[in-house]
Formats: sequence, structure tokens, C-alpha cells
Amino acid sequence: MAEIKWPQQRRVIGTKVPRVDGPDKATGLARYGFDINRRGMLHAMILRSSVPHGRLKTVDVSAAEKHPGFRGIYYFKRQGQEVFYVGDEILAIAADTEEHCQDCLRLVRIEYEPLPFVVTEEAALKDPGKGTVPNPGQGNVRPSGQRTVGNVEDAFGKADAVVEGTYSVPVQSHCCLEPHGMVAEWQGNNLTVWCSTQATTGIAGMLEGQFRNRVPDVKCRCITHYMGGGYGSKFIPGPTGIACSELAFMTKAPVKLFLDRYEEQISAGNRPSATATVKIAGTKDGKITAFQADIYGTPGGGAGAGAVDAYHQLVPYVYTSIPNIRTTNRTIRLNTGDRQAFRAPGHPQACFLTESAVDDLANKLGLDPLEVRRANLPTDPPNAFKKPIYEKQLEIVAEMCDWKKRWHPPGQGPSKGPLKHGIGLGLHTWGGGGRPNNDVRVTIKSNGSVLVQCSTQDLGTGERTVLAIVVAEVLGLNVKDVTSEIGESQFGRSTGSGGSTTCPGTAPAALIAAHRARDDLFDKLAPRLGVKKDDLKIDPAKPGKIVAGDKEWTWKEACARLGMDTVVGVGDHPGDQSLSSQGVGGVQVCECWVDTETGVVYLKNFWAVQDCGLVINKLACESQVAGGIIMGIHYAMFEERLMDDNTGRPLNADMEFYKLAGMKDIPEIHVHMMDMPERGVIGIGEPPTISTAAAIGNAICNALGVRVPRTPFSPMNVLAALAQKGGA
Amino acid sequence: MKNFTYFRPTSLEAAVALLDATYGATELLAGGTDLLDLQKEYVAQPDKVVSLSGLGADFRKITVGTGTPPTVEIGAGATLADIADHKDLRELFPGLTTAAAEIGGPQIRNMGTLGGNLCQRNRCWYFRDEGVSCLLKGGRKCYATDGDNRYHAVFTSGHKCVIVNPSTLAPVLIALKAEAEVFGPKGKRTLPLDKFFRAPESAEHREHVLAANEIVTKVTLKAGPRNGSYEVRHKQSYDWPLVQAAVAFDLEGGTARNVRVVLGHVAPTPHIAEAAAKALEGKRVTEETAVAAGKAATEGARPLSGNAYKVKLIEVAVKRAALLAAGAKPYWT
Ligand SMILES: Cc1cc2nc3c(=O)[nH]c(=O)nc-3n(C[C@H](O)[C@H](O)[C@H](O)COP(=O)(O)OP(=O)(O)OC[C@H]3O[C@@H](n4cnc5c(N)ncnc54)[C@H](O)[C@@H]3O)c2cc1C
Ligand code: SF4
Repeated sequence: MAEIKWPQQRRVIGTKVPRVDGPDKATGLARYGFDINRRGMLHAMILRSSVPHGRLKTVDVSAAEKHPGFRGIYYFKRQGQEVFYVGDEILAIAADTEEHCQDCLRLVRIEYEPLPFVVTEEAALKDPGKGTVPNPGQGNVRPSGQRTVGNVEDAFGKADAVVEGTYSVPVQSHCCLEPHGMVAEWQGNNLTVWCSTQATTGIAGMLEGQFRNRVPDVKCRCITHYMGGGYGSKFIPGPTGIACSELAFMTKAPVKLFLDRYEEQISAGNRPSATATVKIAGTKDGKITAFQADIYGTPGGGAGAGAVDAYHQLVPYVYTSIPNIRTTNRTIRLNTGDRQAFRAPGHPQACFLTESAVDDLANKLGLDPLEVRRANLPTDPPNAFKKPIYEKQLEIVAEMCDWKKRWHPPGQGPSKGPLKHGIGLGLHTWGGGGRPNNDVRVTIKSNGSVLVQCSTQDLGTGERTVLAIVVAEVLGLNVKDVTSEIGESQFGRSTGSGGSTTCPGTAPAALIAAHRARDDLFDKLAPRLGVKKDDLKIDPAKPGKIVAGDKEWTWKEACARLGMDTVVGVGDHPGDQSLSSQGVGGVQVCECWVDTETGVVYLKNFWAVQDCGLVINKLACESQVAGGIIMGIHYAMFEERLMDDNTGRPLNADMEFYKLAGMKDIPEIHVHMMDMPERGVIGIGEPPTISTAAAIGNAICNALGVRVPRTPFSPMNVLAALAQKGGA
Repeated sequence: MKNFTYFRPTSLEAAVALLDATYGATELLAGGTDLLDLQKEYVAQPDKVVSLSGLGADFRKITVGTGTPPTVEIGAGATLADIADHKDLRELFPGLTTAAAEIGGPQIRNMGTLGGNLCQRNRCWYFRDEGVSCLLKGGRKCYATDGDNRYHAVFTSGHKCVIVNPSTLAPVLIALKAEAEVFGPKGKRTLPLDKFFRAPESAEHREHVLAANEIVTKVTLKAGPRNGSYEVRHKQSYDWPLVQAAVAFDLEGGTARNVRVVLGHVAPTPHIAEAAAKALEGKRVTEETAVAAGKAATEGARPLSGNAYKVKLIEVAVKRAALLAAGAKPYWT
């Protein structure tokens, strides 16, 4: 078979296609895990630690067990074991109704032996040796990596300008629209779960592993037709999924267990904080000569928390060719919920720390910060290939936002009374390559129907539409002629939707499957149509037709000849870089007005230029970028997990004081997709959220002439920075 | 949520008869936008919930009198949306309708009522956490004074509990000298709104002075004064103000008379800033006098460890509210 390539002429691919499941989602027809109700279904909830650190002295469930609604109990921890944060799982109970379940939980009597705790980084830094988390001997503050390139001291001595600053982003809680959870049901050895997950096959495999010693031929099927966001926090069953499937096993009844918003906020994962003292040096021509950063952050401290993201490796972010670099990393373990992968793990933090410092250096040198970026693009392998991409993106974005006209030296822009104008930018990068083990199957029937199936899941990105677009392109059809079925583990192998790999993993597989289906179709049709197989063609200029020389048939006419036959084509990602590749760049520019009297920041405009190789669905890509920016706005402007030093309890585990942007907080967003078909497909789930916070911070600095060193950019933090400067 | 018995009486008398004289076991339910949250969080655990939804249309009515200037009566059951969207109210009391329009989002405004707004409980995050037993929940200490108090009071002298009163309608209504009509076991009584609120100190107290078996039935206010309200918010929608200022005055020959400046979200009760009022009294309201009023409004502020930024916001909010009341074109947009 000839090598399969993306078509040179594209009829459907790269156009703007509304999502095929959009109306179902908008009208409520789409059923999410939480919407599933089974006959005789029980409701389960988790009882969590109410102390930040303690030993379980008593776990008395006798009163709960006597409740008429009580059906079963699953223990995460037993008497004598330690709990490490407010929210740590102790046990889960299943009951006949949600209300009874809650009553049962409240009947459980727990006594704790209180143990010392630390819940904020400030407190941990004051007593770094204190050990209040697992492996207490290592203290709460632990070194976690360092890196040296060249000689920074030397470079600081020789530089035209050296700037030192401390920049900080707090812990960001995962706030998926749909909470974590599942409905689990056993039938004999078969376990079916309707789970909100980013990995249907992963969940099925892990749950089979959970039960294999008790049910040797266990078979798990995971269904995720729709899910409301995961962002990295929904790859594994986790305590929620384990408790749910165990309770279903134990009670022999279907069980539903979904977290509520409070549990989501305290225990469903978060993005680690990052604080860095950065010293950066450069020369008059804008070349950065040295970058030094001492960084720390917290990934939580419970059993599941590893080190913080490897910031020491990730800074100075896209500027990998800076000749002298020294970085150190410290992990602060706290009695708080654990980190989980979170949309571009480590990158938004690394980008914020780096881009803030680069901007401060540009300001000190009196240079246009966009030119300073241009002067420091990567020239070394393996990143050198991004240089021309960034150059082009900077050119495009500068034109889109009229940078030359809008930019001004910091603090010297236009004013409207107390409002000061600012504009700032940030650059980002991400991998996003495709992976094998993504089975796509295309089935064509004599009624002309085309079905494409893959066990992959749609995190809200438009995956159903991606598959339909690719198949429609190859078969000369329209998107509406193709039905996509996804989100069921029994459809074959698929990889978890992480690292922006789903589209680049499945679109090539769909391309191959569609080609094979077409070949199979031609094989079967040729004799019945009385033509040579090699003469049969699908002509992009004649959509909906099959042609052979001067003969042609409509798709339906031709398929009708299949009779009892069915056409099938299966494909997988080829495992090489022929249809997908990785490595993207992106540039974002923010324009804002800052009220210097109140410290309120009003975002006006965002301009984003993003590449992702071959664009499959332009509409979804643009919306993905806009969504990434919106998430970045939440991060920069509002989000901050707050813990109380005295009680060790979370302060804002709700949607009231854990703030997210509302409609009025969102500016106009202008997106330019850079189509680079020669590179094949690259994912963009993650990249467009990365540099948003950095761009906002730099715009605010440009407005005020003073750096607001920490997010969120609240009136409190903005006014504090202005006061440092000596008032506005 | 703890189980409770639900009642839906059709008269005030019947409602009052269902209520205990002290707080704890019974609660009135209006729009439920606050009470239901408190119940779900187990902060309120009433055995009996008495709904006000069975009361007649009068309870929800907004009446604009015929006098000049007219007297206006707003039924306690009127929703925040009713108030925000009312054409006459918008003209007569732009400070009030702006404040109503800025509350929460449409869902809250469609359900929340005037009575519930005045009687709602504070938003202190220690108070709202079932796991913390502070003064207002029978505990022995206030967790905010040495805790995270970024959103708490800055007028703290003499207060053991340093909440801020959450209502943003109250400061405007107090500035407008509104009165509440209250119905209780002994019948009707009238309570000026500047006497309505209290700084609570224990579990027996509410943020207002009513007994548990008293019901706000309406609020009465007289049109005439110029009025304005300004809130500084972190988010531009669905957020609480960090600081609010309401200003009202009679305009006589170009100068401000009978000036009232009332601050929200800075003290356990709506805070009447007398010095600020004095600074404007008998003056033309200009940027200069408004600035002076703003400065004066901070007199007596004693911020906590984490909320000194609010003092600066008071200055700005008062300045802007005064200019809005005077009908000046906002200089900040
Ligand atoms: C996200 C969010 C933002 C908000 N922002 C603001 C804001 O900016 N400014 C602001 O002012 N408010 C704000 N609110 C609060 C909102 O205004 C109140 O929740 C609402 O006004 C309460 O009215 P309700 O009718 O729903 O009261 P309910 O929840 O029914 O009752 C609240 C309390 O008042 C008592 N009560 C109710 N009616 C009466 C009566 N007639 N007589 C005596 N007692 C009574 C109840 O017993 C209960 O204790 C916000 C709320 C949310 C959730
Ligand atoms: S401010 Fe009041 S409600 Fe808050 S912790 Fe202190 S006493 Fe409790």
C-alpha cells in the first residue's frame, strides 16, 4: 500500500465545522456520567478528614450501620492510621438515597489524635525542618533539583543591566465543570462504569487490576460519551472510582459516587504554586546573557503528592539559548490536597516567572519588549526549529494588535482619568505529538451509512467532529454524512487524553482507517460496478460521488451495491512523524486598563497567534485558543487557593471566594491560527492557556510602570504594588 | 441538610405563631438564596422552616405614592430584580437600583428578596465553615482577627466579631433614611434602618436586632434626596464588593444639605460616616469636596492584619458615590 498522506487539496479539513454534538450539549440531550441513573442504584459519599493532620483514634460506624438507608462501607483508612489534610479520604458509605447517605456519614464518629500541621508556604519556610507530611524526617521544605549552564556570576558582572525580582503564582484548584465521579454496575464478572474520565481504556484497565485477584476473569467497560472537563485530573479511578466500584461490588447494586464542589476544591487536584527570585542580565542590544532563579512551590503533601513540577528544568522557558543559567527548586510539602496534572503542567508557572523577568529586563534596558523576545529566540537544537515560527508569530501578532502604535514605555501610556493603559505579551511552547495505540474503525454499509468509532473520549474539545471531518474528507462526503461514536472502552485501544495528544493521535488513525475503508469499498464495488478497481476514484471536485473514468455514481447508489456486505477499515497512528509531529509556539498579547485608584484591572483585548501544524477544524481550534485564554484569565486575575494557618482548613473551597471570571471580566479575544499542513497534526489542548497570565502581568506593568509581582491581580495586590512604588 | 418541617402560612399572624422567640430551631424562608446555602452547609439547622411565599401580593408590592416628592413603599417580598428594574425607583433612587442590579447574578436577583437581603447572614469564611466554632456559633474566639481577614471589617474598635454586614441595599437605604415595618407577636412596629442592624457577638445574635419571631413586611422611604452608590469589586460580575459607599443629600441652591454617607463591607454593621457627611455639608459637590469627604470617611478606621487596602478603597468609593449622587459624569470610565 502506498504511504498514506494528508491530502494536498483539502475540502473539509481546515474549514470551520460546528461540533457535531454541539446541539446535544446545548439542549441537555447529551448524557454525562452524573446523568446516568440505574434501577436500584445506590448513592455513595466520602467521609473526609476534618483535621489537617492527625491519627485516627476512633472510627466508630455503629450508628451509621444502624441507619435504615445504610448499604455498605468502604475504608480508605483504618483506626491508627494518619490523615494528612482536611479532605483526606477516610471511608465511603453507600446508601439508598443521597439524603440518607449524607445522614449516614454524619453518624460516623471519628476521634483524632491531633498532630502538628503546616498549610501555607510562608509558615513552612519559617520552620523548614518541621515534618508534618509523609516521610517527616525530610522536613516540609525539600530541595528538588538544580541546574547550571555556563557561569551566571561572570555574566552578571559583564552585563549592561541586571534586574532582580520575585514573582509568584499561588495554588490553582482544578475546577472542572463536571465533578469527578462515576456510576458503577456489576453484572456477573462484568463491571460497567459511566465515568468522567480522560482515559476510558485506562480506567477500564485499572479497575480490572483492582478486582483481578477476586474476580479472575473480570472485564470492565468504561463509558464516557460526554464529560465536562478534566484538564489532567481525570486519568485514574482515584479514591472516588475505587470506592464507587468497590461499593458496587460489595452491595451487588449499581452505585453512583460524584464529588460535590467543596470536595472538588479540596481534594480533586491542583496546580502547584510557584515563587521565584529571578536575577536576569542583558546587554544594550537586548540579548539576555544570564538567568538565575531560585524557585519553590507546593504540590500538597498527602501520599499522592510528588515533587512540584520541574521548574528548574522549565525556566527560562522558551529562551533556551541563554548562555548562562542557574536554577534551584524546592518542594514545599503542606497538609493540603495533592497536585494533579493541570493543563500544561509546570508551563504557566515557568512562563510567568520567566516572562515577567524578561519584561522587567527589557524595561530596564529601555527596549521594546517585543524586540527583546525576538532577540532571544532559541537557536540551539532541539528548539531551533521554533525560531522561525515565533518570528512569524511575532510579526503577525504585532500587526493584529498594532503593537508599534499601542505599545509605550511602562507607565507612560494614555490615561482616562485614573485609568492607565497597558499592553504586554508572552510566548509559550508545548509538545502535543501523536501516539500509537489509537484504534479507529470505519464501517460503511449498503445504506450508505458511515460510522467511525474510537474508544477515545471528548474532553470538550470536539473529538467527535475531528473524526467525522477526517473520514468525510477521505470519502468525499460531508461531515453530517458520518456518524462518530467514541467514549466506550470496548471500541479498541486508545491513549489517555493528556499532553494535547488526542487529535494528533486519532486524526492520523482516522485517516488511515478511512483510506483502508475506501480501498475495501473499491475492492468490493469494482466487480459489481463492472469497472477495474484502480479506475475507481473519489474526486474532491465531486463530493458525494464515486467516479470511474466518465462513469459516476452517487455515494448511496454505489454503496447500495454492497448488498449484505459491510466495508471496514481500521487504522492506528503510524508511530512515526509522517502524519503528526510535535512542538508548537504561541504568542499572546493583552491590552488592559488599570484603575490606579481602586486597583481594579479591566482587560480590553487579547490577541493570540497559535500554530498546531495541520488545522483539522479551524472553528474548534479558535475556540480552543479562546478557551485557553479564558482559563488563563481566571488564573491571572482571580484564582488562589487560600488556607488558614491557625485551623489548617481551606478558606475558599467554594465558588464564592475561590473566584473565577464572569462574563463581564472577559475581554474581546482575537485568534489567528497559523496553519502549517506540512507538519501534520499537532495538539493544542494545552498551549493556549500558558502565556495568558504572563501577558496580563506584563500589560499591567506596562500600564502602571510598576510590577505587580504576584497573582491574582486583585485590587489588594495591585494597590500593594502601587504603594511600594509610592502611590500612583 | 438536616431534615425539617416546612410550613407555608398565608397570614403574618400565622407565620409569627409558628416561630420561636429566639434563634435556633425556626427560620423564615424568603427567596432561600442565603438560607438554603446555610442549611446545606449545616451552619443553619432549623427544625422548622416557615416560608413567606404564601403571603399575599402586598408582601411583594412596590408602591410609589402620589405626593411630591412621593413616598415609596417596597414590600419585603419584592425581589432584587423587581427593585433593580423598577422604572420609578430607577429615577428616584438610582443609588438603590444600582446596588440591587449589582447583586450576584440574575438567578440571585430573581429569587432574592428585600427582606432576605436585610436579614441575610454574614459571609465570614470561618462562620460559613461548619468545622470552625467561632463566637457567632457558640465558640470562644473570633478566628478572623488573627486569621485571614482580607475581606473583614476595618472599623473594628469595640467589636469582638469583625464581620462586615453583607447587605449592599442597607447602606443606600440608611443614607435615604428609610424605615422598616416589622410585624411580630405584638403587632406592627416601625424601625428606622439605621437602628435595624447590630454587631453580633454570640450565637444568640443576628446581624440585625429583630427577634426570631419578627418579620420585616416593608421598607418605606421618601424621594427627594440625590443619591448614589459605588462599589469596588474584584470581579465585575457575581462578586461581593470589597468596599461600598452610599451617599445621599438634598441639593439646595447647588449645595448639599442633610448629607448622609454610609459605608458597606467595612464594619459589622453598615457604617455611618459622620465625618464624611460633615465634610460635604453645605458645600458644592465637586471633585475636591468629594475627595475631602472620602478622606474624612476613613476617620476611625482600624484595619486588621490583612485588609489595610480597604481604607484606600473607602476614600475612592465615597468620592465616586458623592459625584454620582451629584449627577457628575464619572471620571473613571
Ligand atoms: C454570589 C452571591 C453574591 C451576592 N452578592 C450580594 C451583594 O453584592 N450585595 C448584597 O446585598 N447581597 C448579595 N448577595 C446576597 C443576596 O442578596 C441574598 O442572598 C438575598 O438578598 C437573600 O434574600 P432571600 O430572599 O433569598 O433570603 P433567604 O435566603 O430566604 O433568607 C435570608 C435570611 O433572612 C431571613 N428573612 C428572609 N426574609 C425575611 C423577612 N421578611 N423578615 C425577617 N427575616 C427574613 C431568613 O430567615 C434568613 O435568615 C449575594 C449572594 C450570592 C450567592
Ligand atoms: S468575624 Fe465573626 S463570624 Fe467571623 S470568625 Fe470572627 S466571630 Fe466568627
